[in-house]
Amino acid sequence: MNKILVIISREFLTRIRKKSFIITTLLMPVIMVVLILLPVYLSNHTDKNCTVYVLDDNNYFINKFHNTAKIKFEYPSGELEGMKQRCVKGECDAVLHILGGTQSHRANLFFYKDPPLSLKNEISEQMNEVIFDRTLQQEFNVDVQHYKAIKENSHSDIQTLQIDEDGLAKEKMVEMNRFVGIICGVLIYFFVFTYANQVMRSVIEEKSNRIIEVIVSSVKPFPFMMGKIVGVALTGLTQFVAQITLIVIILFVAGSVAPQVFADNSTAELLAQNGGGFAGATVATDSNVFTNISAFYTFPFSTLIFCFLFYFIIGYLMYASLFAGVGSATDNETDSQQLVLPISIPLIASLIVIASGISPQHELIRWLSFIPFTSPIAMLYRIPSGVPLWELLLSGGILLLTFLLCVKFAAKIYRIGLLLYGKKVTWRELMRWMKM
Amino acid sequence: MNIIEVENVTKRFGKHKALDCLSLSIAQGRIFGLLGPNGAGKTTLIRLLTCINTADSGSICFLGHPLTSADVSNIGYLPEERGLYKKMKVSEQAIYMARLRGMSKKDATESLQQWFHKLGIESWWDRRVEELSKGMQQKVQFIVTVVHRPDFLIFDEPFSGFDPINAEQLKSEILELKEKGATIILSTHNMASVEEICDDIALINKGQVLINGAVNEVRRTFRENRFHITFSGQPDINELPEWMQLLAQNTDNQTTTLQLQLAEGHQANDLLQHFITHHPILSFGEMLPSMNDIFIRTIQEQNENH
Repeated sequence: MNKILVIISREFLTRIRKKSFIITTLLMPVIMVVLILLPVYLSNHTDKNCTVYVLDDNNYFINKFHNTAKIKFEYPSGELEGMKQRCVKGECDAVLHILGGTQSHRANLFFYKDPPLSLKNEISEQMNEVIFDRTLQQEFNVDVQHYKAIKENSHSDIQTLQIDEDGLAKEKMVEMNRFVGIICGVLIYFFVFTYANQVMRSVIEEKSNRIIEVIVSSVKPFPFMMGKIVGVALTGLTQFVAQITLIVIILFVAGSVAPQVFADNSTAELLAQNGGGFAGATVATDSNVFTNISAFYTFPFSTLIFCFLFYFIIGYLMYASLFAGVGSATDNETDSQQLVLPISIPLIASLIVIASGISPQHELIRWLSFIPFTSPIAMLYRIPSGVPLWELLLSGGILLLTFLLCVKFAAKIYRIGLLLYGKKVTWRELMRWMKM
Repeated sequence: MNIIEVENVTKRFGKHKALDCLSLSIAQGRIFGLLGPNGAGKTTLIRLLTCINTADSGSICFLGHPLTSADVSNIGYLPEERGLYKKMKVSEQAIYMARLRGMSKKDATESLQQWFHKLGIESWWDRRVEELSKGMQQKVQFIVTVVHRPDFLIFDEPFSGFDPINAEQLKSEILELKEKGATIILSTHNMASVEEICDDIALINKGQVLINGAVNEVRRTFRENRFHITFSGQPDINELPEWMQLLAQNTDNQTTTLQLQLAEGHQANDLLQHFITHHPILSFGEMLPSMNDIFIRTIQEQNENH
């Protein structure tokens, strides 16, 4: 037991003291935050205010456009050619020329320097509205103001409720369920791949620099392998927690230091979408994700957290031990790739399936949530929408059992593979080792 | 007393029999040379003794009790294929290895500092392993092998990669460990060092022991009735009697050295009597076969018989 602690602490300490570890831990959150905030910032600040000169041959649209925060409409009198010249000189950013006669729904938008992307859409929408209002008034004799007031006041409110076998209904948020499920899946996927790979690389390194024989003459291979897997996992968790904390701190600081930069409501919503519920919620507590408070409280948080930890830890341990086994069977990383592929396909496949936005109640997801190699991702996708207890226990049981089998399998390969050099091992060979 | 008793041990890898009903014993406090051609089963035997692998059948006793993995803290093993973590500091790495063998951190640090001082490499303490040359790394590996003061040490090709000065230093350290009571297995292809420092040897091939015994006895059993004699003057070598066959001759102005093979039934005294009447004898001795000759002869004979 004491030796395992020595191994874990070495694996942990040498890793977290590496320069590359410190750099990625500090840099990743910064990159993440930039990726979250940059689009928000850009959309708010790069689209400068622009002026559009409107020239309407029929004069239907004169004074009908309303200015927005970014676009100012002006109706100077003059010829088209003259306005074009003024545009080139920089007096305005674009000239909107609406054709006359029966062509009044058509227009040309002249510009000298590239206008903001949203300009064409905005103009088009406003023109549609004007045309619509005009038609209403002319063809049906409707009072447009009245009509608009009615339209404003008519809206619906849909609550999503899930019923169980007894017919009891609970408020659920369908979007949030999927969102949380996918976030959990992605977390597990990245953690397993990043750190199981590190375990494998470390095993290969120990083999190729020939330190392994000295070590296995002091410690049994199995505790050594487990010590390594746990040590790497602790490194991963440390990095993970550090990065999340940093992201939250940076977002929080950014939100409070420069509120004018990110203050308006649309920014908060954008943040909520981009930054994951979590980061968005920190900056914009009134964001849409949590507006439906009652649904928020019926969300199965304790189950989700418990299951997340379970599937996360057992899933990682299972994959890490398999990767360790594979690593021990090869002496270089290139050879390891072909052995890694078959064991990583289930994980990749399950992530693709859930990312497609499939219903958590879909039969495929149900089956995937029982298969141990896909269940860590598939089951977590199901949990927010509710899973019968027996299915949860069955899936967890299968995973736990497979985990133990995998560890046994990996330990066997590990023991034999560690001291074997210069041989390219195939899966068939590995199966033969199992019987030895 | 024997520190190691190996009895009828068999170990297979697939269809290959690496060790075939092998038995041998190693006496305490001696240096035991484990010899054999490549693929003879030496490394397999060593891996059984260090509990890296387990035997398919047969038994191994350590200090009178069946060998268990708890005994590895009393064994030091320097494998032929050896390495260190390149990115770690020398001291951290050595302490780590010592702790894996059951030492406390404090104990390991003190003991390591003594060893570093003894071998004059204190300045390496805080350096990274990758900064050391191969020979320097070998020294660290040697220290790591012996730091936990085991009673039983196994060195697999310890001299490879060392320059003559460092090899000599290592040799004297090994002899000192023996004096302090350690039992040492030395597995090597360097026969000169076997003759120099080993007390006993075992020659194994194809998983079986071919020769086992004290180095001097082994060499005596392989004696071939060959002698060397040096005397003043220059004899006429054409006058040598029939039962004396000349192997080599070295003559300078005053002295002559002959290497002679005597026919069966003739002894050293016959040889002396032949020369003593004509020439003043300066030196005389039996030529025992070198371990190198014994190694080659035995292995070739076995290969021919199979």
